[in-house]
Amino acid sequence: MAFVIAEPCIGVKDKACIDVCPMDCIHGADKDEMLYIDPDECIDCDGCVPVCPVEAIFPADKIPEKWKHYIQINADYFKR
Amino acid sequence: MLTTNKVKTPRSFRIVGPQRQIDERETPHPKVDRGEFGARLRDWRKNRVGGDPFRRLFGGGGEGDPNNTLQKIMRDAPEGKVNPNQIPVDDPAEMAEQIKGVAKYLGADVVGITRLDQLYVYSHRARGNAAMGEKPGDPVNLPHRYAICLGFASDYYRYMSNNSKISDTEYQFGNNHAIVPTFMLASYIREMGYPATAHHHGRSLVNPIPLAINAGLGELGRHGMLIHEKYGSRLHLTVVTTDLPLAVDEPVDIGVEEFCKYCKKCARTCPSHSIPFGEKGILNGVEKYLVNIETCYKYKLAGRGEWTNCVVCVSSCCYNKPDTWWHDVAMWSVKKTPPSLRVLIVKPLLWIDDLIWGKRPWKRMKWLGYDNAPKTMTCNIPGCTAKHTNLQDKRLHTTNVSQGGTA
Repeated sequence: MAFVIAEPCIGVKDKACIDVCPMDCIHGADKDEMLYIDPDECIDCDGCVPVCPVEAIFPADKIPEKWKHYIQINADYFKR
Repeated sequence: MLTTNKVKTPRSFRIVGPQRQIDERETPHPKVDRGEFGARLRDWRKNRVGGDPFRRLFGGGGEGDPNNTLQKIMRDAPEGKVNPNQIPVDDPAEMAEQIKGVAKYLGADVVGITRLDQLYVYSHRARGNAAMGEKPGDPVNLPHRYAICLGFASDYYRYMSNNSKISDTEYQFGNNHAIVPTFMLASYIREMGYPATAHHHGRSLVNPIPLAINAGLGELGRHGMLIHEKYGSRLHLTVVTTDLPLAVDEPVDIGVEEFCKYCKKCARTCPSHSIPFGEKGILNGVEKYLVNIETCYKYKLAGRGEWTNCVVCVSSCCYNKPDTWWHDVAMWSVKKTPPSLRVLIVKPLLWIDDLIWGKRPWKRMKWLGYDNAPKTMTCNIPGCTAKHTNLQDKRLHTTNVSQGGTA
């Protein structure tokens, strides 16, 4: 399933999620507008959800309809 | 020896509805082997920890020859026949003392006896012992009356090096170390003329935790494991079921119910966020804290060939302390305080625990050429500037969003 980072992260990139992720599967470069979760590495623990200040992280099966395309955006980041 | 309060029924879990027998194929290892937790974890089960010759000794997959792993040989050993010359038992209490003495001589650190509740016997086998004509999916028939529960303590300091090859070796060797005494105790009872079956790592037809709680070895913790007053959760549990007439023990009250309600140290330190912060839930008619088995298991992938069992919850538990007088004093104070007032003592004890052992207990250790010093984190994603850190530098959890418990 994996968790997905959506639009609210854009321009915020608080990075608190990186501090709790046990799998170190949240990545992002300085030039990127947001952070991304590697769906192959994520173990669905939800540790990142409560620490996100802008509520940008959702389980893939519960992400709001308007941000569903972020499932693909997160996955594509790691196929480059 | 500390005196411990006996109770009629366990306080740390409660039967609130009908229970059913569990099929062993529903338990985590068979689920992973079938790929129900993902192909990546299934593949990991076959190839884990294969790179280290010393670690391969203790079994659990990898590149080695299975016959170099005594665990596999012990697991597959057939059990012998019951001696036809049955020795009469006049006094079950005396026999219980003798069995406990023999178990401790063979290597057990703690022993308790309870009636075998069939609800804690699996309904079907996941694997079966081919040498005894068993095969996967066979229904289980275990009509024994008693369960002798044995606990084998692991080393406190090696567990404190959690998330390392050292703690992982200690854990895995503990599994192996417990097999021979359990097998021998069952053999001894069969030689006395009574049916007996050994249940240990790699071959068990029973769930040892509820049986051990009923046998007075300890109570059920928030992290889903048995907590013993002296050894905390660093006990490997095995069981011998039998019809040998024995006096049974009673459950104990060592304050776990109140401690786990307020402490939550395991929930804060669990890397995979698998231990709940909230109230108990109900699973199969039992009210208890529900641990998320799936995320706990998947966190094994974070070991990246270094370790397979993280044991952070075991080492962070406040009951997990070395055998010292000050731990005895702390335990005495918890047990002697009435349950309704225990919150007053739990909070100061937790404060002391955090102060002395840290909010995330962990020790640097060098042992047999291993060194668990945190390694410099590297990231394989091109351009990534995220500051990935070792577990010791990660932020502690404070709360759960979802409570996806499964066990």
